[in-house]
Amino acid sequence: MNLRKVTAEAKLLLIGIPVALWTLLPIYHLLLFAISTKEEAFAGKLWPDHPTLHNFGVVLRQDHYFLIHFWKQLANSLVIALAVGAITLFIATAAAFAISRLKVKGGRLTMNLALFTYFIPAAFLAVPMYKAMGTYGLLNSQWALILAMITLASPYAIWVLKQASDKLPFELDEAARIDGASPMQLFRLVYLPLMTPSLVAVGTYALLLAWNEYLYAFLLLSRDTDVTLAVALGQFMAADDSPWELLMTTGLIYALPPAAIYYAFKRYMVSGLTAGAVKS
Amino acid sequence: MASVSFKDIEKSFGVTKVIHGISFDIADGEFMVLVGPSGCGKSTLLRMLAGLEEITGGSIAIDDTVVNHMESKDRDIAMVFQSYALYPHMTVRENMGFSLRLRKADAKLTGERVAHAAKILNLDPYLERYPRELSGGQRQRVAMGRAIVRDPKVFLFDEPLSNLDAKLRVQMRGEIKALHQRLKTTTVYVTHDQIEAMTMADRIVVMHDGRVEQIGSPLELYDRPGNLFVAQFIGSPAMNIVEGTLRRDGGAPYVEAHGMRWPVAATTRGTDGEAVSYGVRPEHMGIGGDGEPVQAEIIVVEPTGAETELVIGVGEQQLVLVTSGRPHVEPGQRIGLAIDPAMVHLFDRASGIRL
Repeated sequence: MNLRKVTAEAKLLLIGIPVALWTLLPIYHLLLFAISTKEEAFAGKLWPDHPTLHNFGVVLRQDHYFLIHFWKQLANSLVIALAVGAITLFIATAAAFAISRLKVKGGRLTMNLALFTYFIPAAFLAVPMYKAMGTYGLLNSQWALILAMITLASPYAIWVLKQASDKLPFELDEAARIDGASPMQLFRLVYLPLMTPSLVAVGTYALLLAWNEYLYAFLLLSRDTDVTLAVALGQFMAADDSPWELLMTTGLIYALPPAAIYYAFKRYMVSGLTAGAVKS
Repeated sequence: MASVSFKDIEKSFGVTKVIHGISFDIADGEFMVLVGPSGCGKSTLLRMLAGLEEITGGSIAIDDTVVNHMESKDRDIAMVFQSYALYPHMTVRENMGFSLRLRKADAKLTGERVAHAAKILNLDPYLERYPRELSGGQRQRVAMGRAIVRDPKVFLFDEPLSNLDAKLRVQMRGEIKALHQRLKTTTVYVTHDQIEAMTMADRIVVMHDGRVEQIGSPLELYDRPGNLFVAQFIGSPAMNIVEGTLRRDGGAPYVEAHGMRWPVAATTRGTDGEAVSYGVRPEHMGIGGDGEPVQAEIIVVEPTGAETELVIGVGEQQLVLVTSGRPHVEPGQRIGLAIDPAMVHLFDRASGIRL
């Protein structure tokens, strides 16, 4: 290794180490609290003297006032996230296919409107959304949150899928049409298989957006048995004497599914499935 | 098997008219090539026949049935695209059987048809592979296989060889022609390459700016180009054109250009003093002696082995001469041009039409 390579590597490390620390420190903190007893958590040690899984037991057994509905709330989070992911994906795929491949009239306008929604921060829309859901009589129903999250996630999802669709060679559609495919067959047999990587990426995006949402969940849901775990976590802070170690433990558990999803679908995020379709 | 008929076909994209009333017929089993420079409308014409473009005016008929408003899939045609357009997520077998799968044909028939097509195209070893695992030539063959499996009335080819390298292109040219001789399916083939057109076609339609310049067999177009455009488009290297004036003062007619007398056939039409374009192909000029009426200077000598190409200067103009064998000449040398008057083409200079 020559000198130039060494200095280049040193520079990378110089940037990389602070970034890694910056990212990992909160997670380390989370983990530290989760495996410490209440007394040790605040002792200011880098590693507890007696690491314990006791906190996990408390959380999983719902053995605390704040955790009475832990499993129910986790299930709420899951159901809502899956519903948002699936419905957003359906809407965005249908829109992208219609606009990008079938070239329906008004497609351009739709795309511009979708972009326009991002001029207004989602937080500004929270109260109007609350009123709208009230008008529809959906308050205190999980559908309120599901519909709200779909509204927030769809425009971006449509954009991403439209861009990805545009990259598929149009000759494939023409070849399929000549081969005798109806638009629905084209969608099912040619479009969907080729869009799989983008679909997985966009579905994951919508799912995680809903999973991590706090503000809308807090506003639109109120019964303890209806809220998502993210909202329940917030309620830990309501007490003067918050059980921090349990809060962190629950937080760690809540962070695991997204991590797992990311890991499982990693290979789809970068993929060259269209290789060989046309001259490259 | 089918005939195809174009009648007064027009096409506009918005206000831009790209095809201006084209009519011609393609006979049953014929191999018809549409050739022309890019932008001449040849691909658009093919795509209208395929049902991929709306027809602005006129009508297209397959077997006397007007197909203007018929869906692509109902026209019973198969098309091979320049980019192959293979379905990347399907194997070669699935690609070739896709049209039958859509038709809900039974599995046995599909299997037989695919196997048959694979055999014709030597694709048997590759049936379970994906397009990305194939070479350019193999992908091209799969695209053809997909067309053959359909057993359509008409094959359409849209510049199918443009993405292949020169050697493979010559090979595939032969394969497509052999395929046509074997299947005898009516074929419409679009290309910008006049050599492809000449070597493959039964008849050629030369197009330019959305109009038909001339229709004829390859040798008809070569021997009797109807106008200057066809004269210069067909043949390689291109025909030499010299601007001159037709003279018939008393004796035999000749063309005066660059202060010299260029020979023409005694039967030449046209009047004395008419402005003409004098055309002669590189291969119809030879190296002559001092006695020739046209004298030139050699600028570049390009031996290709079988023949030698000479770039020669006459006045300010450069011409190309192709001669078989290996003449002992070098740049700077002055030669006479031996031109066979019977092989000379004269065109009206203003209209470009053959005299």
